[in-house]
Order: sequence, then C-alpha cells, then structure tokens
Amino acid sequence: MIMADKENPDQPKNSLNSWLEIAVPVLSFGGALFAIVFWINGASFDFRISIVGCVVASWVLAYLAWIRPKKDIVALSTPVYSFIFIAVPTDIFSSVILQILYAISLTVLLVRLKYRFGKPGTAASLGKELGGSLKTYIEHTRDSFSGISSETAHLAAVVFVRFAEGNYDDAAQSSKAALIDGENPGAGSPLMRAFGIIQEHSTILHKSLPSPVTYLTFPEHDIPLLAKPPIAAHDDDMKFYTALDNALLVLYSASWTASEQDRPHLLACQAFAQKLMSSK
Amino acid sequence: MKIGNVEVKVSIVAIAVFVIFTIFLLWASLSSPDVRSQLIWLIPCLFLLLIIPIALNYMSRSQYADIAPVYEAEAKTVRIKMINESMVGKPVRVEGVVERVNFQFLNRPQYLVADRSGAISVKMFTSPDEKVKVNDIVEVIGQVIRRYIVTGEPVINCVSIRKIKKS
Repeated sequence: MIMADKENPDQPKNSLNSWLEIAVPVLSFGGALFAIVFWINGASFDFRISIVGCVVASWVLAYLAWIRPKKDIVALSTPVYSFIFIAVPTDIFSSVILQILYAISLTVLLVRLKYRFGKPGTAASLGKELGGSLKTYIEHTRDSFSGISSETAHLAAVVFVRFAEGNYDDAAQSSKAALIDGENPGAGSPLMRAFGIIQEHSTILHKSLPSPVTYLTFPEHDIPLLAKPPIAAHDDDMKFYTALDNALLVLYSASWTASEQDRPHLLACQAFAQKLMSSK
Repeated sequence: MKIGNVEVKVSIVAIAVFVIFTIFLLWASLSSPDVRSQLIWLIPCLFLLLIIPIALNYMSRSQYADIAPVYEAEAKTVRIKMINESMVGKPVRVEGVVERVNFQFLNRPQYLVADRSGAISVKMFTSPDEKVKVNDIVEVIGQVIRRYIVTGEPVINCVSIRKIKKS
C-alpha cells in the first residue's frame, strides 16, 4: 500500500516565510516602540508615521494567510483594518495604546494562523506539480501503464476528470467507450477493470441507485497495482467504495504516465486524487 | 409565525436589538420631552427593527421553498469525500451525522456534517425548516460552493436540511 507521507518531501524549505512570520510582531511592536521612544524624548513628529509598522505587518500577515491552502478571512482582512487605523487622527497617548493593542492582535492572529490554518501551500498542494503520496504511487505503477495507447490514456483522463466534476453520466459513457476501444491485447487488463468499476459506480451515482449486492472489484493479482489494497476486515460497503477509489487512482496513474497532454487537467484535479489517496 | 405557507423565524439577535432599543426609547422619552415629540416616527422606526428581519426571513425562506424541489430533482447523492473543487456549482445530496452547529442564533446556521468518508461544512443562508442538533442524522441538499466564493475549500450551500432519523 502506498502510504500517505508523514512529511511532504516536496515542501521547499522556505526560509522567507519564517522571516515574514518573525516580521509581523517585529514590525508592529517596532512601530509602537518607535513611537514610545520619540514620545519619551519629546521629539515632535507625526505619530502616524509609526503606524506604518502596523500597516506593513498587516500586509505581511495577509500574505501569509493568502499562501495557505486553507484561508483565514480574519488575517486576510487585516490590511483593511490597518487603513482604517491610519486614517483616524488621534492624540499621542491614544495612538501609542492603539498601536500596542493592534500589535498584540496581529501577533495573536499570526499564532492562530500558524496553528489553525496549516502550513503555506507547496507547488503540489496548489496544484502546480505532482506531489506527496500520489507522486510516489504514480512512480510505483509507471512501468505497468507505460505500454498503453495514448487514446486509452486520454480516455482514462477524461473519465477521471468527468468523475471529479460530478458529471457521472459522461464518466459512465466514456468508461463504456474505453471498454469497447480497449478490447485489444495492449490495453492492459487492470486498467480495463478500473474502467468497468467506474462505469458501474458512475451509473449508480447518475441514477441515484442504492449500492448493489454484487459489484465489480479488482482480483487478487491486481493488488500490487492498487493504492489502497482491500482489507478483509472491511464491511461490504467499505470494500465497494475502496474499489472505486482504487479504480480512479489507477486511471489517474495510467493517464499521467501515458498521456502527457492531459497532465494540466490532471493537475487541476490533483486535490481530489490526493483526497482519494489519503482517505480511509 | 406563519405568513402564507412560509414559517417565518426571527433570530434572537433581532429580538434582542428590538428590546434594547425599546428600553432606550422608553428611557429617552421619559427623561426628555424633546424625544416625546418625535415618537410619531420613532415608534414606527422601532418596529422596523423587527419588521425588516421578518420580511428578509420570509423572502429568503419562500425563495428556498421554491428552489428546493428543483435541487431535489437534480442533486446527485454523493459521499462527502467525492466533493471537490471541480464540483463547484453542482447540486449534491449528502447524508451524514451533524458533528457541529454554529450561528443557529443568527438564522444563518453552519453545520459540520460527516459520513464514513469524511466531513464537510454546510452553510445555510436562512433558517432551516426544523431545528437540527449535534448527532442528528440528516439529509442535506445544496450546491457546492467555495467557502469565500472565489477561494477556500469546497462547502455546501444548503438549500434543504432535514433529519432522516432521530438521534
């Protein structure tokens, strides 16, 4: 079984993001400190200049929120608040207090962002390149699917994408076409079984039918090619859906390996394939 | 409260706002003769604080009642795991257990519904037909949208949520 990676090997060591995370409290508290120092020394200047630190820190925080796959609307909207903050004229004392409170708020939001909204997106999580356990699975099965025709591989991509989009009737029709076209020796039988399984599931989904008592599945000799080998302890319901996950992943791997022109479409659906890989 | 065939529900927040402003108005009119002379328009304005949320709730609920049969006919029954970014705009039907309920008091409830394959956030922009609680088993019909319209993970914009089995 291709296990989900404990640590994503594709994730670049992005030291810039670490520096930006440090910059949020440094800039916001630095601005407040700047104001306090000048205030104590009796220097005359426009106190709103020191607010620039909070404004820049807000933009940095919003950027850090933006690059995460899971978005934090509160952190994203902080630049708006920083403009309101800078636009309102206040006296020196109020301005300093406001800056300190704002700096504390930004720091709390940064901590919240880090612990509740995950790590910044990688090229793989943003769908720009293949990554994680899906990439490992495709590399593992590459040799098995390298011999299939580009037409069959293209049909595999079409079926996967249509299924991901929820166009189950199209997925069933394309699977049927692949099963008819694929009746030649080079087509590869695990792939044809995958088309058959997806045709069955797509028809059930399209017509909103209940799960059947008997259903198509992969035989034992296909297990080395499957991302999620069936577990004997699973009930029928789980086995039925595991067969579908495996069939979809077989199609993804086959189309990625043998149909390069379809890779942009497959990358667009990578999140769905990753979900299939990582789910039970 | 029922208007026509539509059961209208006023949120506790709207009632609280009405009560607070009623107290303010009473206090102000007792302490200031100037305010008493303005009561002719202040009292209707006060009632607008109740009437506007009632009207909005009536309109949204009657709209939802109209579109619910269309969604029921078109929605495909899917497992939660199958819902992904490529399905944005598709009508879907899911069945699962309610794991969390938020913002019910605002008449804009958000549920976290889970089945054996995963969990998904279900947002409703009006009050549901029946009160749904944690651990209720429900059928959700709605459209897949992104959490923040243009970005964020897929969630269900709920048109109908109903209990299919009492917890």
